[in-house]
Amino acid sequence: MDASVTGKPALPESGAKARPERQKKRFHRIRGFFHGNPPALIGVGLMVLMIVACSLAPVLAPFDPERRVARPHEAPSAEHWLGTTRSGRDIYSQALYGGRTSLAVAFGSGAIAMTIAVLLGMSSGYFGGKVDEWINFFTNVVLVFPQVPLLIVLAAFLGQVGPPVIALLIGLTAWPWGTRIIRAQTMALRYKEFVLAAEVMGERRWRIILVEILPNLISIVGGGFIGVVLYALLSQAGLEFLGLGDPSAVTWGTMLYWAQNNSSLFTGAWWDVFTPATIIAVFGGALALINMSIDQVSNPKLKTGPHLRIWKQLSVKIERQRSQS
Amino acid sequence: MSFIARRLTFYATAFFLAISFNFLIPRLMPGDPVDALFAGAMGKMDPSQMEAVRAMYGFVDGPIWEQYLSYLVSVVNWDLGPSVLLFPTPVTEVLMIGLPWTVFLAGTSLFLSVLIGILSGTYAASNRGRWFDSIVPPLTMFISAFPYVVSAMVVFFFLGLKLKWFPLSYAYDPELDPAWTWEFISSVIKHSTLPMLSMVVVGISGWLFNMRNALINVLGEDYITMAEAKGLTPWRVMLRYAQRNAMLPVMTAVSMAVGFVLAGSLFTEVVFNYPGLGNLMLKAINARDYPLIQAILLLIVLCMLAANFVADLLLIWLDPRLRGK
Repeated sequence: MDASVTGKPALPESGAKARPERQKKRFHRIRGFFHGNPPALIGVGLMVLMIVACSLAPVLAPFDPERRVARPHEAPSAEHWLGTTRSGRDIYSQALYGGRTSLAVAFGSGAIAMTIAVLLGMSSGYFGGKVDEWINFFTNVVLVFPQVPLLIVLAAFLGQVGPPVIALLIGLTAWPWGTRIIRAQTMALRYKEFVLAAEVMGERRWRIILVEILPNLISIVGGGFIGVVLYALLSQAGLEFLGLGDPSAVTWGTMLYWAQNNSSLFTGAWWDVFTPATIIAVFGGALALINMSIDQVSNPKLKTGPHLRIWKQLSVKIERQRSQS
Repeated sequence: MSFIARRLTFYATAFFLAISFNFLIPRLMPGDPVDALFAGAMGKMDPSQMEAVRAMYGFVDGPIWEQYLSYLVSVVNWDLGPSVLLFPTPVTEVLMIGLPWTVFLAGTSLFLSVLIGILSGTYAASNRGRWFDSIVPPLTMFISAFPYVVSAMVVFFFLGLKLKWFPLSYAYDPELDPAWTWEFISSVIKHSTLPMLSMVVVGISGWLFNMRNALINVLGEDYITMAEAKGLTPWRVMLRYAQRNAMLPVMTAVSMAVGFVLAGSLFTEVVFNYPGLGNLMLKAINARDYPLIQAILLLIVLCMLAANFVADLLLIWLDPRLRGK
């Protein structure tokens, strides 16, 4: 087993040989995703960079995000890299700490929404009949509800909501899109041979759903997850910008809220607004690029630019080999 | 049942459920909103009017179904009680101040972004792998992930505050009286340019990708090859054969997007102090004007249903298969 980890495929035992082979395959697949696909590279790079930076906030942040450490609205300088807020807090530290909360909310609501979407979508697509009719109707009705205004109304009735409640609200309202796509895909797989075979063999229903069908939906669930995370990031920022969030929590959205409330743009303190704004935009942009790349990998017809060129070269090469043989 | 009848039944049910949901929100939330509202009115309301609000909300004495019925009756009569914010103007009158501006802003920017997106998507699909197709779609994708708030603030700061090209707030010059004169109309256009620009920039990507991807799929069909083989001009093949079919998924997406655009317009209006529903909603939230908040939600649902219906009609026009026997 140790030999396989160090990557010596010379051993004759098949078990030891299979592992590096599999690792190689996996590596190939990952490389294939990024190869000639700058958007994917940029997206994943930016996302990883920001997640790492935010999770290392206690190490990287020079100041306490909630303490007054300088005079109000100081411009960016060597000491305060991104300047200070109206209340004299260090923006760079706030951005790092705020990112932890904002990203936790975004990923948390993504997880909630996708769990609901997988449960509803797969049972709807697998069981069909009355179950499908009801779930589908329910999904369509929720889709007609405008999500963001609904969130605003719910948050307004609850008073100022903290980050966990925002995550819950977004998670509980953002599932219909995922449900629809997962349902359609489950229906497409429902009567494939491998599912019928599993049924004939007497496998239990939950096992067929989870072990036979779900692995085939991974790319859709993954894409949907990233979509919801993106939507959650944006709507959280929107809710907090409107003052519906808890203004004492440090998040990217509340940073925007305070900056707007102190009319930072009018007083010339652009850094106060543009730091959180840029961060949200760049993180959102990274997620969108990843989602686009997933689409293009799962459907090569949609590829853009360099990726397409590689694909074309490949087909030319295959043609040539075929004509030679 | 014909297509239209089926859709109309669905919309009626959805609207009915939306009303019921609106009825439930205040009952599910902690505290008595009517008391909070009375406190928020700060003496502008006398107790008899509070009774009227209670009745409007359905908080009459009696079992819950009686409350529900009284609420339904008041909604059907379009009697949503007095607004707290602009006491004692009825909520429905306050809504009409904001609605035209929001519909104008959201509708025009949706139309523009769909138009630009469809054109550039068609161009990208018919020039696949060229520079336009490799750069523009990923770039718009990146921008599309900006929250409306952020894109609005960027446009606000650079084009409005720094370059002073366009006015920064209101829907028209407050010194003018609304009239069908060129002076007034040009003022409206000038004031709406920045908010619209910030919304269109964010919106283009979705349409570009929708159109491009749908078109790429359609262009692979046999009837396109057939049309080309007949010797039709590429222009005719693109417009009459490919685009009409590729438009179908795009039209469905338009109806889904109305909610997004309306929500986006809420945020944009706040940044640009545009007198639409969004601004009204923010003021209503700050004044704890629950009747107004709920009425705005109901109105947005109505707008969405109407837009969905229009999209259905367009679909019937585009897709003869839906016209039935």
